[in-house]
Amino acid sequence: MAQIRSPLLHVFLLAPVFYLLALIGFPILYNIAMSFQEVTLGNLGKLMRPFVGLDNFREVIADPTFRKVFVNSLVFVSVNVVGQVSLGLLAALFFAETFAGAHFLRGLLLATWMLPGLVVGALWKWMFASQYGVVNFVLAALHLTGGPIHWLSDPAVAMTAVTMAHVWYIMPFSMILIAAALTAIPQELYEAAALDGAGPIARFRYIALPALKPTLLAVACLVTIYSMRAFDMIFALTQGGPLDSSNVLPLLSYQFSFQQFKFGIGAAVGTFAVVFVFAVALVYVRTVKHEARA
Amino acid sequence: MTVGRSTFLSKRTRRLVFSVLGFAGVAIYLFPIYWMLISGFKSSAEIFANPPTFFPRAPNLDAFHSVFVQENIARYLLNSIIIAVPVTLLTLVLGSMGAYAMSRIRSRLVDVALVVVLLLQVFPEALIATPIFIIFKSMGLLNTFPAVILATTSKTLAFALVILRPMFLQVPSELEEASYVDGCTQFQAFWRIVLPLMRAPLLVVGAICFAQAYGQFVYPITLLNQQHLQPGSVGIYAFIGAEFADWHRVMAFASIYVLPILAIFLLLQRNIVSGLTAGALK
Repeated sequence: MAQIRSPLLHVFLLAPVFYLLALIGFPILYNIAMSFQEVTLGNLGKLMRPFVGLDNFREVIADPTFRKVFVNSLVFVSVNVVGQVSLGLLAALFFAETFAGAHFLRGLLLATWMLPGLVVGALWKWMFASQYGVVNFVLAALHLTGGPIHWLSDPAVAMTAVTMAHVWYIMPFSMILIAAALTAIPQELYEAAALDGAGPIARFRYIALPALKPTLLAVACLVTIYSMRAFDMIFALTQGGPLDSSNVLPLLSYQFSFQQFKFGIGAAVGTFAVVFVFAVALVYVRTVKHEARA
Repeated sequence: MTVGRSTFLSKRTRRLVFSVLGFAGVAIYLFPIYWMLISGFKSSAEIFANPPTFFPRAPNLDAFHSVFVQENIARYLLNSIIIAVPVTLLTLVLGSMGAYAMSRIRSRLVDVALVVVLLLQVFPEALIATPIFIIFKSMGLLNTFPAVILATTSKTLAFALVILRPMFLQVPSELEEASYVDGCTQFQAFWRIVLPLMRAPLLVVGAICFAQAYGQFVYPITLLNQQHLQPGSVGIYAFIGAEFADWHRVMAFASIYVLPILAIFLLLQRNIVSGLTAGALK
């Protein structure tokens, strides 16, 4: 077992870990540090800047835009979690049935997840167009709406539009993860339950659901993390507008930094997002590690 | 779950109904991709036709022509590839090193490393972009491809490590131990015995990382402000930034841009799905 402790393996382990610490860990800490500093275009390149305590945070919390966007983010993330986990579970159950093409069709859905976020945004912007968009056309043809819906320019609807597009984009990925856990449940359990007289609903309720619980929790965490990353798609669709109605925290942070050049404020908004994502990540890591050990 | 439910529907009818429903459902779900692909073949009059045509009435290549001639899409695509190829290679090298080490070292160090990787992969790029911009600015790296390549690899590498680790765990270490008896060094064992066995998983991870790097938007738009350096994602963004857009041209641009990704996906669909199911939650 001498080779197991060889120095080469430790170099192999540390190289990627240091890479990630340098290009993600350090920037995140740098961002947190900036949120306590007064950052101007003039001192942007320096590490030491005037320390301003919680001033940036006070300004952020007093800003009604921030409060609106904070609530938006919670809505966006939770609708995504509920939508993707429930639709993903339904789709996974459907494709778990034996029929011709089940695996192929299920795999094909993953095409949406492979697309660049910007393409997804551009595509849905075209489909959501008020006058010539195909979404309004289909809704009108089915007599579901009275007049055209201004999907992206009506502040009351923009968040719904953005959320729908994002659920469409990532749901197949959630479904694939749930499907994998579903296949791992031993078929004998179902057969035994069927012999005992359990119907399909009882079998789902008492066998599939308990077995899937850790996976569903992990998927919910992953969806939260993915949804907090939904920058490209929203940037292409609405830029967070109109009136920040479809804005989310990472995008707001980016806008403060690169459009208003208020880097300290942007960093403070970012710190809120970092804390939120980090908390979810802890739950995720606990779930995954627990699963791996079991 | 099909046991005991085939009382009034025969098994065959049931399967047929599911096939038809499944096919129809997937067709509706993927309709937006179809809509993108056909919109580029419409004329500037037909794109705004009401009711819209679900198959181009007079398919033509005008939009594609203008995207190549006026928008210089070739330049954008070349830049996307110049960024995505090194990201993929760097990710595969660092990813297979790390995943191999994680599957062979038996100490708490691996647990710590794994938790660090899992925690670091969650931060949105939009938040990392600002500090990366400042750091790279002071290093004089702005407006260079290496800046975007280094930053993008941090995203793909974490993903690759998570997916590859369980794959490397499946390779029995007896194979390497036998080679040590024959006088192989650890590096030779990794290079000549383990890596060739990992060809399929590395292909899957490489394909996904390539797609992610190829579609990357946040880092290029933050770190590159010269048009001749910008990749396809930024090209599309510039195109739809205006209130009014020539949608047939935008969709032609988008179709050409995603073609390599869709091709890779269709070729490797089976492997990508099984790779994700084996690795993504372990």
